[in-house]
Amino acid sequence: MLNYIAQRAALAIAVAFTVSLAAFVLLNIATDPAYAIAGEDADPEVVEQIRQRFGLDRPIWVRYGEWLMNVLRGDFGVSYYWNKPVSALVAERVGTTLTLAFAALFVTIAIAIPLGALAALNRNTWIDRFALWVAVSAQAIPNFWLGLILIILLAVTFPIFPVSGDATWRHFVLPAFVLGASSVPPVMRLMRTGLIEVMGSDYIRTARSKGFRGRSLLTRHALRNALLPVVSVLAVQLGHKVGGSVITESVFAINGLGRLALQSILGADIPTVQMLIFIFALVFVAMNLLADILNAALDPRIRIG
Amino acid sequence: MTARLHRILGPAVLAAGLAFGPGVAAGPEDDTLRAAMTGEILNLDYLYTTRREYIIMANMTDARLFNMNPETQEAEPSVATSYEFIDDMTVEVKLRDDVRFHDGSLLTAADVAYTYNWVIDDGSESHAQTLISRWLDRAEVIDDQTVHFHLAAVNPLIIRDMAQRVPLRKDGSYHQGDEPDFDAMAIDHIGVGPYRVASFNPGVEAVLERFDDYFGDAPAIENIVVRTIPDVGTQQAEIMAGGINWMFNVPLDVAQNVGMRPDIDHLAGPDLRISFIVLDAAGIVEEDGPLTDVRVRRAMNHAVNRDEIAEFLMGGGASEGIHTPCHPVQFGCVQDVMRYEYDPERGRELLAEAGYPDGFDLDLWAYRERPVSEAVMSDLEAIGININLRYVQLESLNQARAAAEIPAYIGSWGSGGVPDTALIARVHFSDTSDRHLSGDSEVVEWVMAAEQTADQGARAEYYRQAVTRIAEQAYWVPLVSYTANYLVTSDLDFPLDSDGVPRLENSSWR
Repeated sequence: MLNYIAQRAALAIAVAFTVSLAAFVLLNIATDPAYAIAGEDADPEVVEQIRQRFGLDRPIWVRYGEWLMNVLRGDFGVSYYWNKPVSALVAERVGTTLTLAFAALFVTIAIAIPLGALAALNRNTWIDRFALWVAVSAQAIPNFWLGLILIILLAVTFPIFPVSGDATWRHFVLPAFVLGASSVPPVMRLMRTGLIEVMGSDYIRTARSKGFRGRSLLTRHALRNALLPVVSVLAVQLGHKVGGSVITESVFAINGLGRLALQSILGADIPTVQMLIFIFALVFVAMNLLADILNAALDPRIRIG
Repeated sequence: MTARLHRILGPAVLAAGLAFGPGVAAGPEDDTLRAAMTGEILNLDYLYTTRREYIIMANMTDARLFNMNPETQEAEPSVATSYEFIDDMTVEVKLRDDVRFHDGSLLTAADVAYTYNWVIDDGSESHAQTLISRWLDRAEVIDDQTVHFHLAAVNPLIIRDMAQRVPLRKDGSYHQGDEPDFDAMAIDHIGVGPYRVASFNPGVEAVLERFDDYFGDAPAIENIVVRTIPDVGTQQAEIMAGGINWMFNVPLDVAQNVGMRPDIDHLAGPDLRISFIVLDAAGIVEEDGPLTDVRVRRAMNHAVNRDEIAEFLMGGGASEGIHTPCHPVQFGCVQDVMRYEYDPERGRELLAEAGYPDGFDLDLWAYRERPVSEAVMSDLEAIGININLRYVQLESLNQARAAAEIPAYIGSWGSGGVPDTALIARVHFSDTSDRHLSGDSEVVEWVMAAEQTADQGARAEYYRQAVTRIAEQAYWVPLVSYTANYLVTSDLDFPLDSDGVPRLENSSWR
C-alpha cells in the first residue's frame, strides 16, 4: 500500500511538472506578458522597459529552466501582474476557494444522493424520470448561465442573496449551488445505478426474508454498499471543485484561486499561472489517489498494490 | 407570467429576504458612491501604471502641478500656481503653500523636485520615465515654493505632461530602506488628491474617503468604493440590485437595455479612442504587394462605409466616421484633408486601374470589436478584395506585427485621454515603431519636428502636413471614433467630459 502511494505521489509530481512545461510554452506562444502588463495603449518603449525588468527578453528555455530551479528550492517566483510572491498570493486565496469547494460538494451531496436513491427505489416511475431530467439539465446548463440566472432571480428580482463578493456566508450560497450543480449528474447516476444493483443482490434478498423492510433495509444494508463508489467519485469531484471554479468565481466576483487563474491567464502572468497549474494538477492527482485509497479501505474486496 | 410569479413567490421571498437581512445599497443614504470596474486595480501608484482604470483612480487620489481643463484644453493651476519659461531651457514653477499630503504633512518644492528627479532616474523604472526623460534633465529646489525644471530638450508637451502624467510624491517616498522600493506607494498610498485611501485590497476593492485638507474644492460625495467585478453581466446585476452606482466601458446593447429602467441612466459620452486600418504601404511584408499602390489604398478607403459602422455598430452618439489618423478634436488633427466618401463603385474602378480587376487576397488582422471587423471585411470583399480575417488576441497581433508578418490590421488608439495628435502620431509614424508601415520618411520628419518645438503654431503646421499627406496617400483607412457608454443610477449626477476621461471625483447626488 505504501509503495503504491509513493508511486502515485511521484506520478503526481511528474504530471504537475509536465503540465507546467506545457502551460509555460503555450502561454509564451499565445501572449506577450510585457504587452499584457503595460496595457493596450502603452508606449512601445514602456513595453520594452517592462520586458527587460522581468527578464522577458531572454529565451523561453532559459526562463523555464530558471523557474524550474527556483521551484525545486521552493520559490515559485514573483507575480508580474501583482508584483508580490506567488506563494503569498495563493495563500491569501486558497481558503476562499476551499470554502467554496466544500460548500459546493455539500450541495452536490445534498441533491444527488437523495435524488439518486429516490430514482433507484422508484425505477421507471415519474420520480425516476424527474431525477433523470435534473441530471440532464444540470449537465447541459453552463455554469455561467446558471450563475447569471440565479443572480437575476435570487439577487436582483428577489434580493435574498448578494449579487457578488465573498464577504459573508450569504455570498457563497449561490456560487456553491452553481458549482455544486455541475457534479450532481455523475453522483446521482452513480448512486442510482449502485443502489439498483445492491437492491437486486442476494444479501438484500436475504435481509428481506428476515423481515427487513423500508428505511431499515435501506439505511442498514443497501445504502452502505451503494455509497462505496459514490465516495470515491466525490473525492474526484472535490478536485474538480478546487480546480474548476474559474467561471463561477469570476461570475460571482469571488476572490479565490479560480478567479486568480483567469486574471493571471488574461494578464499573461506566467509565474502565477505556473504555480496554479502546478497546484491544480497536484490536487487532481491527489484526489484520484484518495479515491483509490478510500475504495480499498471501504471495500475489502479491492486490493491495491 | 412575471406578475403571477411575483404574486405567488412574493410573500415567501419577502419573508426570506427579511430573515437573511437586507443587502448593502449603494447611494446617497450613506454618501457612498460604489463603482465597478472590469480590470483589476492592483497598484495605486500612477507612476507605475498606465491603464485607464488607473487614470481614474489617480484623478481621485493624486494631484499634479497643473490641471488640464477638458473643455478648453488649457493648463490650469493646481498644486502649482504658475509657470514661466525663464530661458529656453528652464521652466520656473511656483507652488501653493497650503497643499497637504494625506498624512498631514505640507508639500514643498523638495517633494516636487524629488518626484520628478525620481521619475527620470534610470533606476526608478517608472512607467512615466520615458515620457518625462524626453524633456527633463533635472528639477531643482529654489525655495519652498519654487522649482526650476532644467530641460534636456525643448518639448511642446511639458506643461501637459506635468498636468497629466506625474502625480506628486513626498520627498523620500521610494527610499525608506537601503534599496529603492518601487512599490512604496502601490498599496499604502499617500497623495495630495481630493480622496485619501482608507483601505485597499488589490484586485478586489479600494475604499476612498474625502480628504478634508484637500487644497482644492472639496468633492461632493464623501466616500467612493471601487470594486473589481470582472464579469459585465455581474456588474449589470449589481447595478440593477442597487449594489453599485456606476459602471463604464459598458457594451452598447447592455447599456441600451439596462438604461431603459427608470432607476438607471445610460450615458453616452465622447471618447478619444479611434479605430483605423493600418496598411503596409511600404511593402514591408510583401514587397511590391497590392498595398504599395496608392490606388489600391484609396480603393479600400472608398469601400468602407464608416458612417454606417459608426451609427449602427458603434451605437451612434459621439461615434462618427473619421477621415484622419487622429481624433478630430485633437490638437493638430486638421480636417480639411482628402476624404474618401463611401463609393464601392469607385473602389472597384481604382482596383481595376491598379491592375487588380479581380481583386486580390489579403490577410486583415483584428483584435477588437468583432462586428466592426466583420463589417469592414464585408465592405472590402464587396469591391473584390478577398479578405482572410485573422481575429486574434492583442498579444498575438503584437507579436506578428513585431515579426513583420502583418500586411494590414485594424488598430485602435485612445491617446490616454490626451487631446493632442502627438501620442498617436509618434507611436504610429516613427522609425522606431513596428506600427509604422507607411515608409514615408517625410511624415516621420514632420511628426518628430512637431515634438521638438514649443511653438504651437509650428506644431500645428507640422501636423497639418503629416495628416494631409497620410490622407492623400491613404496610408490608413480611418474608421470611426468611439462612444464611451456608462450606466449610472438615476440618483447620481455624473458629468461627462469631452476628453472621455471619467472623473468620479466630480460626481454628486441629485
